[in-house]
Amino acid sequence: MSVFVIIYFACLIASSCLAAYYEKRPTFLTLFSLTLISFVLGIVGGVPALRFVATAAGLLAFAAGISFAFREFIVIIAPANISKEVRTAPLTAAFGMFVIFTYAIAGIFAPWIAPYGESEVIASAFAMPDENMLLGADQLGRDMFSRIIYGARNTVGLALLATLAAFFMGAFAGLLAATKGGWFDQFMGRFADVIMSIPSLIFALLMLSIFGPQVTVIIVAVAIIYAPRVFRLTRAVAGNVVVMDYIEAAKLRGEKTWYLIRKEILPNSTAPLIAEFGLEFCFVFLLVAGLSFLGLGIQPPTADWGSMVRENATMISFGEITPLIPAAAIALLTVAVNFVVDWMLFRSSGLKE
Amino acid sequence: MSDKKQVLLDIRNLRIEGYTGEEWVPIIKGVDLKLHRGEVMGLIGESGAGKSTIGAAAMGFARDGTRISEGSIEFDGMELTTASEAEKRALRGSRIAYVAQSAAASFNPAHKIIDQHTEAPLHYRIQKRLEAQEDAMDLYERLRLPNPKEIGFRYPHQVSGGQLQRAMTAMAMACRPDLIIFDEPTTALDVTTQIEVLAAIRDIVDQFNTAAIYITHDLAVVAQMADTIKVLLKGEEVEQAPTEEMLQSPREDYTKSLWAVRSYQRPQQSRPEGEKPVISVQHVDAAYTGGVKVLDDVSFDIYRGMTVAVVGESGSGKSTAARCITGLLPPSKGQVLSNGEPLPPNYLNRSKDQLRQVQMIYQMADTALNPKVRISEIIGRPAQFYSGLRGADLKHRVDELLDLIELDPSKFYNRYPPELSGGQKQRIGIARALAAEPSFIICDEVTSALDQLVAEGILKLLDRLQKELDLAYMFITHDLATVRAIADEVVVMQNGKVVEQGPKDEMFTPPHHPYTDLLLSSVPEMDPNWLTTLLEERGVENVGEAADV
Repeated sequence: MSVFVIIYFACLIASSCLAAYYEKRPTFLTLFSLTLISFVLGIVGGVPALRFVATAAGLLAFAAGISFAFREFIVIIAPANISKEVRTAPLTAAFGMFVIFTYAIAGIFAPWIAPYGESEVIASAFAMPDENMLLGADQLGRDMFSRIIYGARNTVGLALLATLAAFFMGAFAGLLAATKGGWFDQFMGRFADVIMSIPSLIFALLMLSIFGPQVTVIIVAVAIIYAPRVFRLTRAVAGNVVVMDYIEAAKLRGEKTWYLIRKEILPNSTAPLIAEFGLEFCFVFLLVAGLSFLGLGIQPPTADWGSMVRENATMISFGEITPLIPAAAIALLTVAVNFVVDWMLFRSSGLKE
Repeated sequence: MSDKKQVLLDIRNLRIEGYTGEEWVPIIKGVDLKLHRGEVMGLIGESGAGKSTIGAAAMGFARDGTRISEGSIEFDGMELTTASEAEKRALRGSRIAYVAQSAAASFNPAHKIIDQHTEAPLHYRIQKRLEAQEDAMDLYERLRLPNPKEIGFRYPHQVSGGQLQRAMTAMAMACRPDLIIFDEPTTALDVTTQIEVLAAIRDIVDQFNTAAIYITHDLAVVAQMADTIKVLLKGEEVEQAPTEEMLQSPREDYTKSLWAVRSYQRPQQSRPEGEKPVISVQHVDAAYTGGVKVLDDVSFDIYRGMTVAVVGESGSGKSTAARCITGLLPPSKGQVLSNGEPLPPNYLNRSKDQLRQVQMIYQMADTALNPKVRISEIIGRPAQFYSGLRGADLKHRVDELLDLIELDPSKFYNRYPPELSGGQKQRIGIARALAAEPSFIICDEVTSALDQLVAEGILKLLDRLQKELDLAYMFITHDLATVRAIADEVVVMQNGKVVEQGPKDEMFTPPHHPYTDLLLSSVPEMDPNWLTTLLEERGVENVGEAADV
């Protein structure tokens, strides 16, 4: 019986007792059932299995701790009305915000954070991690860590621009269609249907092979693909607002369409739109990464997570985790954004306990 | 009755709390309620008094976001606060039933009425399908629904609102429950339809000796239905007494004030001499696109400083007439004159000044005020839009308007509509209309969504503003008590036609047009024998048909 196992069980039992003493029922149940499961795990898997459990629990606790601290941090520094909202945010949302914040920092300050340039060859192909290279080298001997950092700027920046473009187009068209109504609404609706009927990946591939894989083409193509979805949501949300009496009152006052959209309809449709923005961002991000993986996205030598996965894909058969790191970066951001979106959806839908 | 002495429902010291997002606040603050078998108890109070919460608690149910924090609810010897969900579920539908305010929203539109009716008896295996269907038809007959053999096989949207409400009562009766909770079952109905439902409910509760809790804010209605009345205010009991006693000698001041509300009346005014009417509706026909004619040769005049009440059941074309005046629905024939000048039929073609002249106050202040705009801007925008006021002038004007509607400018200037109470919202709606400096205001059921005391305040305010600003009002309502209080002239509408019009005094003294007579006699009165007397006069069997005249 190693010291680790003794400490492991001692910690578990002590914390279960503490939880029981302070009448934290769910915590106690979790902790104590973990203790019981650990007996079985220890017998079947030995010390490594227990070590794995301990590491996982430690990571979770670490993430929860960071989320908690980050939430408190925002509550303190944010202005009163925002901090009141943030205080009610669940830990998952705080974790999501923290991850997004980290990515933003990495993207904005990439040249200062990354130790090497994104296309700088500094070692042999697939060199192992050492004190110079945190994550080793890629297939051309470039520093993996630096490329991940630059990738945050390129991939996330591109996806963000494309989503914003899609949103401006879609939301504006949707608001206009809902306000104008009649044949204009019909026309916009059918036009959106036409765009949506084309498979998105095929459409993007088509555009990129006609106009060449430039950044602007990617942004425009992706924006066109996603704008109809935004249009449909905005139109539906705004459609519920335009039938309100206050819109009728504004119309009877003689207000113009632009005033109606800006002052009366938009403020009442923002909550679902912001939530949708988060969701669409994930889809756009995955599409951009997918295009890169197919070789039609951001072109080398610019660092990009999607193409990094493809370029290093061969390494997976040697049991290396290198190609999984950019994939994990994509996954983490998607999960984080979804955490935040879930919280916003919860707030906007008014679902309260 | 001998078993009347047996206590069926015994609620002791009930406390219910609601979660506001930060803390639990008390909603019900220690209410006792004792209901015997076969007894009907009326719960009355303003909105927020906790009537519906107590009604739900009688089934052992706490709505989402609320919890029963203290007290006991004993139903026929069974403690509901500690009973399991399964035990409570077995009671609901079979021994305790619930009739909601909106039958249209409570029926599933995808299933036939009778299928929904027989669901509970089949589920509890009380009856076989055919048996249950026959029983349903029997109940429909007792509730005096037309074609009781056939009506159940229709879908909910194929029957009228009053019939649906009766079908729902029949459904509640399906398992012959010991207790039925009626939550404002007639509030959404017209007065003429209300009578059928009231009579049907009263009869059936009587026939099966069912105990009932009848929740309403209308005193006259509760006087017809209940054996005892309990008055609630802000989650606390004010007083409880047998109906007769309560009506004749209410003890508490609050109860007396409730009773007194209906007495407000202002002197009638006559038309000013030698002036053109502010608004004159002349031989107007109107129809919605591709649909039926909803207005048929409607004419009436509204003079400066006068209030014209337009009354009728829902669907009579009152609101459509208002839409024609505002220009939202251009009339297909006829015209609307403003001070002798014809108004363009479509509001899009009207000038700023013509738009300014006609303002509107809406029924639902909730949907009439943009929840994301500050009060200062809601009121300020028309002033800015029409008069071009800016900066300090605009602020001064908004303050002036807030003073006019008796709200403190310093408190309300920067707030948002959701932070206000119903009556305050309606006042903001009035201020918005006044900000345009109109000569004519359409009041579309402005008080029907409000509690009686609040509604009275709004009526008094409108009356005062009319005197000060020399306004003309078109007052759309189905509530004849309001008409009696505020109108100078009355226009009675039915099926898109004007049936009768004239000064209020004439309208309220016989002889009437038969439809006016029906409307007037259908307004519930405080006398607990009113319904019985009325039904005798009309002949019980004819009550349904009488309403369809």
